[in-house]
Amino acid sequence: MTHAPPVLEQDAPRKVALIANCLLNQNAKVCEGARYRGVVNPVVEALLSRGYQLQQLPCPELAFAGARRWWAVYEQYDTPAYRAHCRRLAQAIAPTVEQHLRRGDEVILIGLDGSPSSGVRFTSSKPEWGGRPNRPDDDWDIVPHRGVWIEELEAELARRGLQPLPATGWALDMGRFDEAGARRDLEQFLDSREMAARSRVDDSTS
Amino acid sequence: MNGDVRSWRVALVPDTLINPQDRMRTSFPDALEVLEASGYGVLQLPGRGAHGLLLAVIADQVAEYAHHGYAVVAIGVRGEPGNGLHWRRLAPLLRHRGVAPLPRHVIRAGVDDPTERQRFAAFLSAYDLPLEEQRHWRV
Repeated sequence: MTHAPPVLEQDAPRKVALIANCLLNQNAKVCEGARYRGVVNPVVEALLSRGYQLQQLPCPELAFAGARRWWAVYEQYDTPAYRAHCRRLAQAIAPTVEQHLRRGDEVILIGLDGSPSSGVRFTSSKPEWGGRPNRPDDDWDIVPHRGVWIEELEAELARRGLQPLPATGWALDMGRFDEAGARRDLEQFLDSREMAARSRVDDSTS
Repeated sequence: MNGDVRSWRVALVPDTLINPQDRMRTSFPDALEVLEASGYGVLQLPGRGAHGLLLAVIADQVAEYAHHGYAVVAIGVRGEPGNGLHWRRLAPLLRHRGVAPLPRHVIRAGVDDPTERQRFAAFLSAYDLPLEEQRHWRV
């Protein structure tokens, strides 16, 4: 992981990536879910090489259900108490996000697809899950929906009058993990942001 | 699911080491690179300013790790207020949650990069919990 951070003037608009906690720290993952020792290097590499600053989000599941929690699906975390916990976390990080947006920085969100909490494009679902945690492997569905934490974070930013952030997810919790596919997805998302930014500059100078 | 490869090691890291372009850009080893190579997960501390609620949220996470078999260290930056660790706010929050003082390593600004990097990597690789505790938790 070698990268030279771009030289930025102190007041120039910056590019900031809000990233799910476990993308910098796989120890936050539910038992048996860590695919990297600590830092998820392909994500960090893709972001730093494109000039993004990193802003790690808190891990909502770790502080709520603990380091030794069972696996769970969206429906099990969709409770008033967990949503209140997520709102508290969102209130902790939102001032930093708001500060970036108010000063004109570009802010994007990289979640964790398939996660019941941090999913952006997809979350895990199985309404009938409950009771003794002895479900067989791959016994949950992946559905196109935000995770609970991302829903609450976006709601908090909206409450502050902020526009929705461009967002995608690193596809770690989609059942079978395909690192090359996840990397392709992320790079396409980031490159499409670059192209959109370039065409805005071209439009404004033509 | 199986094949969990977590490191069981976590480092509290100041924002200025993760996003060094704001200040003192070239004076540090690439902290993220060293942490990644050493297998540490990162908990990012906020930059300068008051971040009371966020520090409490981070302290909750540190306590959860510290009480369940994870080795947690703090990486500071000499020359930053509180070494970039918000220590005056964070230390009582950790104490209140029953977390023993964290081993700390302070990176020196403006010194020869390879030396500083080696010192940093040596600190990271040398620290872990006693074997008995590792066996208790890491199954």
